[in-house]
Amino acid sequence: MALSCLTRALRSLTLSQPALLSSQTPVVQLKLGTLVPSTVSQCRGFLTTASLKHNRAYLKQLDKYTIRPIGIKKSGGRDHTGKIRTRGIGGGHKQKHRWVDFQRLRYEPNKEGQPFEEKVVEVRYDPCRSADIALLAGGNRKRWIVATEKMQAGDIIKTSGVIGRMAVSANEGDAYPLGALPVGTLVNNLEIQPGRGSKYIRAAGTSGVLLRKVNGTAIVQLPSKQQVQVLETCIVTVGRVSNIDHNKRIIGKAGRNRWLGIRPSSGLWKRKGGWAGRKIKPLPPMKNYVNLPSISAN
Amino acid sequence: MLPEATRYLKATVSLFSPNVFLNASKLSAHGAPSSLQTRRNLRVSHCFAARVPPQKKPREKVEIPGLEMVTYGDRMHYVPGLAKPVYPPWEMSFKDPRYYRSPPAQEMALYKDKPCYVFNQRTSILEGVRQAAWLTKTHVRPGLLPHLVSLAAKPENQLPDQDERVQNAIKHSRFWDTTEPRNTLLLNLLHLCATLQPTHPAVGRRILAENYSLAATWKRGEDLFQIRGRNGLLHCSMDPLPRICGEQEVLETSDQVLESFYPVSPTIDLQQVSVYKEEMNCTGFRGEYPYPHAHTLYFLETSDPNCQLRPEQFRAKMIMFTFGNALARAHKLYGSLLERPITVQAVGTNGRIFQFLVFQLNTTDLSGDDGIKNQAWLDEDVELYDFAKVRPFIKRKEVKVPAGLAGYKPETFSKFLALYLHGAA
Repeated sequence: MALSCLTRALRSLTLSQPALLSSQTPVVQLKLGTLVPSTVSQCRGFLTTASLKHNRAYLKQLDKYTIRPIGIKKSGGRDHTGKIRTRGIGGGHKQKHRWVDFQRLRYEPNKEGQPFEEKVVEVRYDPCRSADIALLAGGNRKRWIVATEKMQAGDIIKTSGVIGRMAVSANEGDAYPLGALPVGTLVNNLEIQPGRGSKYIRAAGTSGVLLRKVNGTAIVQLPSKQQVQVLETCIVTVGRVSNIDHNKRIIGKAGRNRWLGIRPSSGLWKRKGGWAGRKIKPLPPMKNYVNLPSISAN
Repeated sequence: MLPEATRYLKATVSLFSPNVFLNASKLSAHGAPSSLQTRRNLRVSHCFAARVPPQKKPREKVEIPGLEMVTYGDRMHYVPGLAKPVYPPWEMSFKDPRYYRSPPAQEMALYKDKPCYVFNQRTSILEGVRQAAWLTKTHVRPGLLPHLVSLAAKPENQLPDQDERVQNAIKHSRFWDTTEPRNTLLLNLLHLCATLQPTHPAVGRRILAENYSLAATWKRGEDLFQIRGRNGLLHCSMDPLPRICGEQEVLETSDQVLESFYPVSPTIDLQQVSVYKEEMNCTGFRGEYPYPHAHTLYFLETSDPNCQLRPEQFRAKMIMFTFGNALARAHKLYGSLLERPITVQAVGTNGRIFQFLVFQLNTTDLSGDDGIKNQAWLDEDVELYDFAKVRPFIKRKEVKVPAGLAGYKPETFSKFLALYLHGAA
């Protein structure tokens, strides 16, 4: 169908003035990334080549880690069909994406298995998240991580995957498995499956609490007071996430919201339904992310 | 005819999304006669959308060995139901340099398992001067040696109207010349120094060289390091520079300990290559060059926005390239064992702030951390003048900084002149 469209277009073009319209021949693109140039333009058209790569899909496809900030295109809340899927998103300051390494226990290629230390080079603002990020340098590589509350440039941060018999007295910013930490420590950047990277407790000022350790699992209370049970080999960082006064900030004016990329909501008054109002309900049951072998009676 | 063409084109374009035509529909929608002569074509070749449709995984092609696929290759046209013919990749029968694809690194002739760490002119190393000192096994001291600086204090080593001429040179580069990046100031200062040739004939036995490719290799512990690249301007001469430091102090350097910066490894930020030539030492010039000895290197800040070096990293680059020059010439003159120390100087500037470096290569045995070390004297952040403003800086109706050249410091140029005349006076 596409081919027939194209041939029809080209056929119609050859019958009219060739001088101008040959420049309008569409460029055939086979897939994202390759470009096959078509006929030479004979009229004064100009071709701009902006990068094809600065969309969210490209960020998910990158395999080599880099600390260089990558440009991203704003989506405006639109999905691939062009329709708005999420209201209230659009505009705002341009942002460059800094690839944060959420898997804290990532060994260098030749140094598997040993606890290692890294030095904090700088702690800076990240436009893509509420927390600040820190540039760590250790061995031969540099990476970005989510900074904790009192992290400063020049600190030495330890990461270890070893669970000893005694609990470690951890300093803020260090990363240990849950089984190695004493009960009651404030933790952040929680992994729920070991080695998958941290998915929880990453927002500014948040922290979870290690409640108890049971067999080979540990129970952590998330900032929403929900409790989760995870394997004790999951790595967490100790301390609160940086930028603790984030929830106390005052936006002040509508313009500041627009700078953040938040578009105004519709001003139409709508009656609030059952979802609104204060709810007092018991805590949901503890979520278990440990695949315990099921006891099946045969 | 034309609207029909544009309609077909728009239908096609919506499928091949990256190519979009602006203005095509708007012009005809206005109602004005769309005269072809006034239409502007704007073709953008990027995808407007930030979110792209999810990539469909192509159907998995199952290879069953022994089963011959019936393809439409023989019929020379597509036939639904038959398989797509797979042809071996076509290669040209002759070698054309325009269409050459280099083989992957593992198949190259110079591929080695052990990687080599390369420092080039765009490298910006994290720890700056400390890391450069560790890599080159150098003991860095702040400040230049007094007997060097006093060289320019002698009246016969000074220019007539020195201050005024230097200030004219600054004004030329800052006010009377273009704002495009050009090293006018450095060339003017070099010209001023060269006017001393009638009184100092040894100055005439030197020449300036630019854009030469330096290569030097050395081993440090288990790792192999290389310096490669073009650093800038080189002042080379027929006579080598005299040694600055006596034997006794050179032997005392073996007691100094190199600074370590755990947990950062000294090879951080260096480019790791697996394809390299071992024992590559090249001064940048061929064998019969009449000016074999390096006198001074001049480093300028690049205008390239991708490799802007901070002052610390700029000084580290100066140390590394000075060391590279000294090492390459040591290998050329003396082979593997150094008979006498080689001295090389370097001046780095951004137009206003100068960094002076004098480097003495005492040993080519860099594999261990102990033993005789090389020496460097580094004078950091010496300003030539405070302000050179085209328009005066006025704050609250008060002139804080007047227009023109302000805060000229004559000591900086005398240091520059001293380094220039070192070995000639």
